[in-house]
Parts: sequence; C-alpha cells; structure tokens
Amino acid sequence: MDSNSNNKKFWKSISEYNNEPEILKNKRNEFSEGVTDDFEPSELSGMSRRKFIALMGAATAITATACSDYRDKGEIIPYNKRPEEILPGTANYYASTCTGCESLCGILVKTREGRPIKIDGNPDHPVNKGKICAKGQAEVTNLYDPTRIKEPLFNKRKVSWEQADNQLISEFKKATEDGVEIALISEHILSPTFNKLLAEFKSKYPTTKQYYYSATDNGNKLNAAFQSYGNYSIPTPRYDKAELVVALDDDFLGVDGNSIENTKNYSMKRDAINKVNFNRLYVIEGRMSLTGMMSDYRMRLRPEAQLEFVWTLINELKSNGSISFPAELASKVSNYTITKLVSTYKINEKKLRGLLSDLSKSKGKSIITAGKNLSESVHVSVNYLNELLNNTGNFDYNNFDLGASYASYKDFENLVSKMESGKVGVVLNLDINPLFNLPADLGFGKGYSKVKTTVAFTLENNETSEKSKYLLPINHFLESWGDYRNKTYVMSLQQPVINPLFNTRQKESIFLTWVSGEAKSYNVNSYHKYLLENFDTAIYNNSSKKTDNKSFWYGSLHDGIVELNTTTNSKGVFNTGSFGSLSNPAVKSNFSVYLTEGYFLGGGKFANNGWLQETPHPVTKITWDNYVSVSPSTAKQFGIEKDDLLEISVNNKKLKIAAVIQPGLADEVLHIEFGNGRKVVGDVGLETGVNAFELISKKNTESNFVLSGAEFSKTGETYKLASTQEHHSLDDTFVKDFHKVRKIIQEGTVNEYKKHPHFLHDEKHEVFSITDEHKYTEVKWAMAIDLNKCTSCGGCVTACNVENNIPVVGKDQVLLGREMQWMRIDRYYSGTPDEPETSNQPMLCQHCDNAPCENVCPVNATNHSPDGLNQMAYNRCVGTRYCSNNCPYKVRRFNFFNFRDHFADSYYENNLTPLGNNPEVTVRSRGVMEKCTFCIQKIMDARQVAIKEERPLNGNDVVTACQQACPAEAIVFGDSNDPESKISKYRKHNLAYHVLETLNVKPNVTYIAKLRNTHSEEV
Amino acid sequence: MSEVDYSVELSVVEGRPGLREIEDLITKPLESKPDKKFFIAISITLTMLMIGVIGLGLTVYYGIGMWGNNNPVGWGFGIVNFVFWVGIGHAGTLISAILFLLRQKWRNGIARFAEGMTIFAVMTAGIFPLIHVGRPWLAGYLFPYPNQHSIWVNFTSPLLWDVFAVSTYFTVSFVFWYVGLIPDFAALREKTSNKIKHIVYSIFSLGWRGSNKHWQNYEMVYLILAGFATPLVLSVHTIVSFDFAVSIIPGWHTTIFPPYFVAGAVFSGFAMVQNVLIFVRKIFNYEHIITIDTLEKMNKIILLTGTLVGYAYAMEFFIAWYSGVQAEQFTFINRAFGPYAWAYWIMISCNVISPQLFWFKKLRRSLVPMFIIAVFVNVGMWFERFVIVISSLSRDFLPSSWAYFTPTATDFAILIGSFGLFFTLVLLFTKALPVVSIAEIKAVVDGAQPTHKEH
Repeated sequence: MDSNSNNKKFWKSISEYNNEPEILKNKRNEFSEGVTDDFEPSELSGMSRRKFIALMGAATAITATACSDYRDKGEIIPYNKRPEEILPGTANYYASTCTGCESLCGILVKTREGRPIKIDGNPDHPVNKGKICAKGQAEVTNLYDPTRIKEPLFNKRKVSWEQADNQLISEFKKATEDGVEIALISEHILSPTFNKLLAEFKSKYPTTKQYYYSATDNGNKLNAAFQSYGNYSIPTPRYDKAELVVALDDDFLGVDGNSIENTKNYSMKRDAINKVNFNRLYVIEGRMSLTGMMSDYRMRLRPEAQLEFVWTLINELKSNGSISFPAELASKVSNYTITKLVSTYKINEKKLRGLLSDLSKSKGKSIITAGKNLSESVHVSVNYLNELLNNTGNFDYNNFDLGASYASYKDFENLVSKMESGKVGVVLNLDINPLFNLPADLGFGKGYSKVKTTVAFTLENNETSEKSKYLLPINHFLESWGDYRNKTYVMSLQQPVINPLFNTRQKESIFLTWVSGEAKSYNVNSYHKYLLENFDTAIYNNSSKKTDNKSFWYGSLHDGIVELNTTTNSKGVFNTGSFGSLSNPAVKSNFSVYLTEGYFLGGGKFANNGWLQETPHPVTKITWDNYVSVSPSTAKQFGIEKDDLLEISVNNKKLKIAAVIQPGLADEVLHIEFGNGRKVVGDVGLETGVNAFELISKKNTESNFVLSGAEFSKTGETYKLASTQEHHSLDDTFVKDFHKVRKIIQEGTVNEYKKHPHFLHDEKHEVFSITDEHKYTEVKWAMAIDLNKCTSCGGCVTACNVENNIPVVGKDQVLLGREMQWMRIDRYYSGTPDEPETSNQPMLCQHCDNAPCENVCPVNATNHSPDGLNQMAYNRCVGTRYCSNNCPYKVRRFNFFNFRDHFADSYYENNLTPLGNNPEVTVRSRGVMEKCTFCIQKIMDARQVAIKEERPLNGNDVVTACQQACPAEAIVFGDSNDPESKISKYRKHNLAYHVLETLNVKPNVTYIAKLRNTHSEEV
Repeated sequence: MSEVDYSVELSVVEGRPGLREIEDLITKPLESKPDKKFFIAISITLTMLMIGVIGLGLTVYYGIGMWGNNNPVGWGFGIVNFVFWVGIGHAGTLISAILFLLRQKWRNGIARFAEGMTIFAVMTAGIFPLIHVGRPWLAGYLFPYPNQHSIWVNFTSPLLWDVFAVSTYFTVSFVFWYVGLIPDFAALREKTSNKIKHIVYSIFSLGWRGSNKHWQNYEMVYLILAGFATPLVLSVHTIVSFDFAVSIIPGWHTTIFPPYFVAGAVFSGFAMVQNVLIFVRKIFNYEHIITIDTLEKMNKIILLTGTLVGYAYAMEFFIAWYSGVQAEQFTFINRAFGPYAWAYWIMISCNVISPQLFWFKKLRRSLVPMFIIAVFVNVGMWFERFVIVISSLSRDFLPSSWAYFTPTATDFAILIGSFGLFFTLVLLFTKALPVVSIAEIKAVVDGAQPTHKEH
C-alpha cells in the first residue's frame, strides 16, 4: 500500500471541502459544547476497559461451555405467539361426548399443549356423572393409532377427497336415475343433526335405504320393548331404587346396557359405610359374568331355559297369590313348576324358593332384567313379570325412541339378493364391519363384491373396508363435532380437541358435501356451521332463552351438555297379547354355544387397542385372546384341560378354540366371547383369538347368540392362553381358600354385620413396636377400597395405564408373567367348582408404613416420603428386583425389556403413539422397577396450587386416576391425618381391614370387607 | 490298601520322596509346554465360556427379559448361580486357613489348589450380582461414594452387605493365597532358566532368600492371615444367607439360614475340590502327594456337612410346622409336593441321601464312587439354591400373583459359561503356578522334620 492512500483527504460535505470557517471551528472542537460538560469518566463506572473485556471474554467462554453439552433432540419449535387458552405445562379440559358405544357418556378430555392425553367422565353429565368405562379411557390410543388410514383410497390407491366426492356424487345421481338402491348400513344414529342431514341425503337421493346393524346389538330387547309397549325405547332399570334385583343372564354391570349408569346406581344400594341399605342380587346365568360374581345368590342355568325359568316364576307367584294373573293365560304357564325346573336343570331348590319368597315380599320394589343375548320371548315375559309385580316404577322410561329396530337377517337376505341382481348401486358402511360380523351364510361378502360402488367409512382398515372400492378415512371422535341424544332429557355435545391428525374428514361433513352435490363445497367448518344452525333452530329456539344464541352455544359447549325439559314418560301400556302369543319354551338338551360380547373389544371394534387387549378379563383374567369356557364337570367328563384346543361345531360351522375351565359355568354350555379374531387389522390386533361370529347362522331364530345343538371334540392340540392370574383348581385342597385363610379377603354377611358389627376384628390384637415409629405430622396419604362396591370392571386399571404411561407388553410377555399394569384386580374363588363364590380385590401398591421393599433396596431407590408415600426414584434404580421379591403384595413391576421397543411389532416405535403419553409421568427405561405412585403427579399439582393460594394442602383436592374412573365410587383417597376426611372415616370403620395384617407392614390401603346380603348369617 | 493303623499318624506324603524330587514333580507342568490334552481341555472350557459370553451379551443388549425371571420370581438363575459359586469358594479358605489353625497336616497337599479354586469361584460368583441387575452400567451406585446428590447407599440392605462381604472375602483370600506362594515363587526363580520367567518370578517372590528371618516373618504373616480369613469363611456365606433371611418371604425368612448356608457351602466346596483333585493327581502324577487318605478325609467332611445340611432341611420343616404360620407351612409343603417338587427331590436325594454312602469306607476310598457322589453333591447344592430362591418366590403370600418360573436358553448359556470361566481359570492355573505348595509339602514329607523317634 502506498503512503498516498494514508494521506488521502476525506471530506464529509461540500462546505468542509471548501474549508468553511464554521466547519473548521467545529472540527477542532469535536465534541460540541454541552455534550462533554458533565462527562466525568471516573463517575460513570468503576470498571476498566480491560476488566470489561476480560469479563466479556469470561462470559463468552462460560456460555460456550454451558452450551457445549447441548444435545440436539430433534426439532423443537417454540410458540412465537402463545396460542389462546394454552399455557405450556398446564392441562386444559374440554367437554365432549364419547361415541365409542351407544351409551354416549359425557367426557372431559384432558389436553396438554394441544394434545388430548386422557379422557375422564364429565361430572356435569346427568347419566354417567363423571365416570367412564375402560373402553372410553382407552380411546386415546385409537386416536393415536399409527395404523389409522391417512388418506382416502379408491381401489386401494390414494385419491383426493374432491375426486372421491365427485365420483361418488355422480354414482349417487346415477343410482337415483336408474332407480337402484343406495344402501346405508350403520348403527343407530343417535345424533339429531346427523339424522336431519341423513334425511336431506335421502330426499336428494330417494333410493337410499337405511339398515341399522350392530355386532353387539340388543335387538331382542328392543323388539320385545316394541312388542310390549309399542315403541323402540328400552327402559333403564333404576338399580338405586330396587330392593331386589333378579338378573337373568343380564350382565348389567358389565356389557349389557350402560354399565356406567348401572354400576353407579347399583353401588348406591351397596353402601356399607353409612347406612347398610343393601339390595339383594340374584343372578341366574349360563356363563360366569361380572354381574354373576357380584351376586348374593347365583344359579346356573343354560340360556335356552331362561324362558321356562321366567314362566315358572310367573306360575309359582300366581299359585302363591302374589300376583293377579289373567285367567285366560293361566293354562299357558301352569305346567311350569319349581319341581320341574329343579329336576330338569338341577337348580338349587333352596335358592329358588328363597327367590320366590323374596319376589312375593318385595312387590313393587324389585327389578327383573334379562340379558340382551336372550330371546325376544324371554324379554317379553320379563316385561310382563315386571308389570305383574308392579315394578315399572323402578324403571326409567326416558330413553330416546330409536324409531326402528335393527335390520333382521331377513332384511339382509333381501339386501344380498338385491346386491347380487344389481339392484343396489351403492353400499355405504358407516363405521361398521358387516363382513366380519354378519353370518357367513348370508352371503353378504359375495353380494358386496358384486356392487359397483362400495364405500367404507372407517378409522382403520378392517374386513369390510378391505373389500370396499372406496375407503373414506373418518375423524376420530376427538377430532369431530357432534350432538348426541339417547335420553330425552339431555343432549350431549361433541367438540374436536385436536385438529385431524391426517387427511381425514368427519363422516357428517362427507354427507354434507354429498347433499350439496358439489365436491368443492367442502369446508373444514361446514359441519360445524350446519350443527350450529340446527342447534339454534332445534334447541336454542325451544329453550327459555335467557341469553343470546352465541352465549348459549358456548355455554352449552363448555358444559358439554344441554339439559332439556322434555322429561315425558314414554312408557306405553303393556300389551298382554305380546305375552299371549309367545310359543312354549322347548326343552333343549345337549350342548349349546353361548356367545356374549367381550368386555373390552366390543364387536371387534377395539381389536387394535393394546391397552384393551391387555386388560385382564374380569372373570378369567385372560388377555389377548378369547376362548371357550366349559364347566368343571363337563371338563372332567370329557377330560378337557385348560389350553386344550377344541373344535366346536354348530350350524354346520366349525371353529377351533382353546378351552378354559370356568367354575360356575352351567353344564352343557360352551361360552365364547366375541370381538377377537379380526383378520384385517393393525399389528396389535392380529392373531388375537378367533372370530366367534363365524358360528352364527342366518337360521338362528330365537337368539343370534344362543346356538343350540352344538358339538365339540378335542383336537389334541393345545393353544397357550395368557392369563395374569394362575388358575388354581378349586377342588385342590392343597391351595383351597387361601385367600380366606391368609386374611387376604375378609367377608361377612349383612345380617352378621348388623348383629355383630365388630365381627371382623374379634381376634385382633395390638402390635407394639419396639422402636419409635416415624411420625407423620402433616398430610398422610391413604386409600380405601370398598369391596362391596367394586365390580371388577377394570376401569381403574385402564385409567391407571393411561395416566401413568404404562406400556403394553404383548401376549408373549403376559405369558411369562411380566405384565406391567400397576393395578390389578385379583379374583378368588371359594365354595365348590360348580357353585363358586367369587371375591374380587383391586390390588395396588399398599404404600406400607413399614414397607419391606424399602429396607432391602441397596441404593435407596425406593424410599418413604414425609407424606407417607412409598416412592420410586427411577434414576437411582439399578434393578436388583429385591424390592419386588420382598413385597408381600407383589405389586411392583419390573421393566424386563425396554417395552417401548421390545413389543413384537414395535408398537411404540412410531411418531404417533408417544403423543398420547402423559408428559407429567416419566417414561421408564428398561431395567427399572416401577409401581403405583398414588398418582404423585396429581398430588404435586394439588400441592402447587395450595402453595400458590397460600393455604394448607387439603387431602380432598387430590383424586387419583383409579378413583376418578371408578363408576362405583369404590375407591376413596385422601389425607388420613385429617380426622374429618372421608378416608379417615373409612379407615376407622368396623369393616376396614388390611391385607396380610399379621405381617405388620402397616399398609396405607384399607379394604372395606364385602358383605353378602344373604338370608342367613352364613354365606 | 488294606487295614489302616489309626494308632500312628499317617504320612501325608507317601513313599518318602526326596525333596528335590518333589520340587521337580511340582514344577514340571510349569516347565513343560502344554500338551495336546491340555489344549483339548481348554478348548472345551473356552467354548463353554463363549456360550456364556453370548448369553451375557444378549442379556446386556436386550435386558433381563432374556432370562426366565417374571413377576413373582424376581431372582432366577442369576442369584442361584451366585450363591452356588460363592459356596464353591468356601472350601479353599476353610482348608487353607481353618485346617491350618487346627494343625491338620494333610491339608498341605491340597490347600494351594483349593485356595486357587476359591479365588476362581468367587470371581465367577462376583459376575452374577453385576449382571443380574437391570442396569449393570449403574452398578457403581452400590458403592458408597461421595456424590453431588448426597445420596448414600442403604446400609440396611443385605445386598449391600453382600457387596462388602464378597469383596472382603475375595481380597483376603487372594492375599492369603499370594503370601503362601512367595516361597514357591522363590523356588521357581531359582529353578528356571528362562530369562523372562526369571524376572517375573523375581518380582513376585519379593526378594525371598529363604533366610531364617524370612521364614519366621512368613510363618507369622501366614498365621495372622489364617486367623483373619477364618471368620470370613463363616461370615461370607452368613451374609449371603441374609439376602434371604432378612426378607419377609416365607421360605426365606428363617433364622437357621446362616449356619445352614455355611454348612452347605463347605459341603459343596469340598465336593468340587475333591472332584477336581481327582483329575489333578492323576494327570500330574501327584497320587503320592494328594493321597487316597487325604481324599478320604475330605469325604468325611462331605459326610459331616451333608448330614448337617440334611438336619437343616428337617429343621426348616419342623419350625414351619411349629410356628403355626400358615404361609410358612404352605411354603414347605409346596416345596416338597408343589410344582417344584422335582427340584426338591433332586436336592434331597443328592444332598442328603447320596453323601450317606460315605459311611462305607470302601466308597470313601475308591475314586469312581467318590467322584460320582461328589458330582451329585454339587448338582444337589445347585438345586438347593434353586429350591430356596425359586420355589419360595413363585408361591408367596398372595395366590393371585403366583407364577411358574421357566428358565430360558440364555439362563442355561450363562450357567454353562460360568462353569466355562471357572474351569478355564483352573486350567490356566495348573500351567501357571505350582498347584501344590512346594514349601508346605516339603515340610510334611516323612523325615523332613526329624524327631527323636527316627534316631
């Protein structure tokens, strides 16, 4: 560089260039007057320039060091602008409606950062009152199911919605022009707005014909209601009103009807804590059901004999003058006597006579119900018997009139013949699976393939959608708008809590597009708008209008429900002719197959839900499979053992299925639950059980689910069933009645208790400690479980799974005894194998004060909190499993594998499933022990709120997941140091006991002993 | 051998071999190249070891789920093997320390080898507590070290006591063994012509010159260490038994466990030492050093401890009945007649019945029967741990969680591997160090310590 460039003269303005004097003067005095006058560097800062540089350097170095350990965990996008309503780390709850089944429970959906993670019941809902079943809880997994269909498909190829809509609309038009049928097959539509929309669809395409079909239908009950009362509305028994309940193969606490409502009502009559107001439950059944396990008296009777049983009751009640019976019908029932029934079906006569005297004594205070699988005749007879006993006041007649029954097999036969002759242009399957559920001899599948346009609305691929030309993926109900009504006095609203995860649409808006006849008319909000309009006209305009329509809508949406003032009693007059026209019961001998709905899989709808597949069956504790149950005497007679593969043949159809020996099952009954055995299903549901629908034939007349004239043979093969509880033979004296001997289960009778309230603690003596015990000065957490109320429905187990991110381990691991559920329901039998008495007991970590697990952990990973919790520090756990060995309750669960990726089909190895995880609960790695925490995240939440509000923590603020889910309110949780709390009252109760009290581990879970409401003091 | 005259003390070494002869004989395996038989043997043990390594690899990679353990049965083969191998490790120190203190001269021929087996058995055993945990990479948490979380280990846990007991036992046994080796290292140093060997032996012999002072110090150290090791022989298995006895599980929670476990450990340890020595004396021509008399004495100890173990089994039943605790009673009935009855009866027939055959002198003194009986004892003792660990856990308090334990291929692979490791170490030992103590055996040769009788 030459020196010239350094001497270059710079100028800032023309005046400077011209060397104007004013400028020159200013230049000399660079800081003009006033700027530097007060400038005193020493006063500005004590920091020198060097020091500043040094500090800055140090700060940079420290920052750089701190950042160096940052591991990029993938893309994290923070909110630039916080969305309304969402506060990161805080859950939002939205009211909606569960449409998993026809019960339509009101729900509160818990969402975190925009993701629904848990479904609880909506406490404001007048029917389910804040409770929800296992299936409803597990719906979150269905939402995040990676096997959901993500795009509309035409002939199995991706197609745009617009194209599909265009093609379909032209098909509809063509069908209308040609006068061929558009068959619309669905379950009963319980949404008024959707019904209105479908009516519009029908008027636009008048050849549309609607068929109602459900795999788990209660058609017999519905038809009987129509026969008896002239409408399609099944009255709901009010179990909270009746003193005597006689259930004929009616699993009303399990899967018959709205089990949540029933359980809630029933449990009100099982209050041992305050007033001992027990009802008496008789169950007469062929299978062993959840309700049967709860019964005070249980009689075994094959399902075909139920008609005879009812008629015998009528006849005997007539004979002893308890009821006035029309003389013209007397001859109809006069042949049926107790003696005959006892001799034909080997029923315990004493129990039967007891039932009769109870029935005569509690006229007007009893309920007789029959299960949905029994024939129409039984239901008509039961309706009549209730009328005769003046029991109608114990029924709620507010169920919505469905207007029509289900399509019969005859209807389907007609449809199939029309399909085969080309008289059906389009078949629309609305989220149902007839190819899986309908009897094969209807030929539906064959007819279906001949229809030009077949459409399946579905969440995921199934047997029907597989064979359909169009596959329209629909929204999960958590992504949908809707209004639902199955009771006259309440309308439930459904709102989306997450944007559709995939390119799916809700089925209503698809119809809306079709009704408009214009594929382009679709808009994400179109059904929302339609719903609003309908809501305004149908609900708002009829309401008392205290607010404007918008506020009214938002208010209702917030509550999730609209209570309607149309409580008209829809009970009709009983039509005696319906009873008179019944044909006489026929005596059946030989074996019969009895099919009932599985507890957790519905008609196969939930087959791809791991949580439900792995929830142990309430009775047999078997997971992942269905099986045929045979009675112990049948098993003995034919040399059948558990896991033997039997070949069942009935209706010329054969089915190979593994056997289970079920105590208490009626002889000559082969009981199978359906819902398993799906062939076209996601990874989870594959190869889980067999399809029992295959046994049903269109020829079944009385009931689709009772198949007489069955035969079976042993194949000589075996098939391993995965049970979470080892099956101990009842007649094995070696292990008989251990649960009673060891005081795991303590029971009594109502009469015994009334006479001698302290009977449970007669032998009890105080144990003194030789050391000072730890004092719990503040809150001390404790739980009580009322065994009088617990029905073992499994709702708590699923709720716990969802709340605490409990992994699904798969059948192979359940077989090895490595299921991970923190909560289990133990089932014990006593009595004889034929007439067993069942005791159930939810078992979870007992949070013992003297916890044996704590002192054996070498690394202090499990320890005790100051508020009485037995804690697990997952980070510290090295996995010696010593704690689990030393736990007398065996409630600890070890991660034998990394269950998130071990599960055979890598169930969790996708981006979707983990979205359902609860972010408040650590996802445990392999090699770590885990167990019930008493929902510590909820305790901490409540504590935080209490601290913020500057008040002491109140034990009632915490509701554990299992407690929240329990429809019977059998679980109580709270602060046992608070003498006013409910839990203290439970713990001090005369019926309270701890399991294995003799070990002196001082559990904090108290059980309230079960009382059986028998006639005598003896069980 | 015909009648034995019990009025005179038997010579430990038969045939009055010369001192030089003894030294040559004992050092011969170290001087010569391994032969074909050795390679065959070691290839078998290494194959077994490899099987174990594969099993271990699978376990570490996938998790404990590779084993048969399940929910009630939290401990399976891992702990069974651990207790088994710790038990095997008992004979060595008992022979070298307790019998030393009791002035049992016959121990001199077998002490070194037995001690070596102790060390290898404890090494084998030591693997199991590490690998049986769910997250072995965090096993450091078992040691009390200061850390930023101020988390200390839990001193009330018997598993922690185990960590200390086993590591102390290993350390002391190892030092004791090494101290005993010092004079032999010096002898080897003098004998070898190989330069490298010379250096190695020089280092390990710690400058031993065989001076009177050296011998005096050596004897004193050896005596002190023997005194130190003696309580450890009893304590280590006592503490291992605490793993069970301190718990509350019926079948585990038993006060008889400490003496019962120690007796069982000595029982199995002697059986294992006897088994191996039968081969060693044959292969290396030590029949006159490790004599039939010595083996007979060992068999007598097996008979004694076997009877003690049998008594303990009976006493457990008696106490279970006497306690009146239903859960306790059931556990024992269940052991004998429940789903694991097969294991129980294997245990009883191997541990209680088979050693009773040693009442017959003929069987005590003939190699094939004594070998077979000792094998049975080892099988039986493995099953004893199996019965204790597994049958108690599989059916405890709540019948609802009972489950049957079925071992997997990985379980067996690791079991085989543990034998592979143990015998590999034993084989290497025979080629690397004198398996009989040269110094000690010289001291008990007839005439080595002249008495007035001989003059």
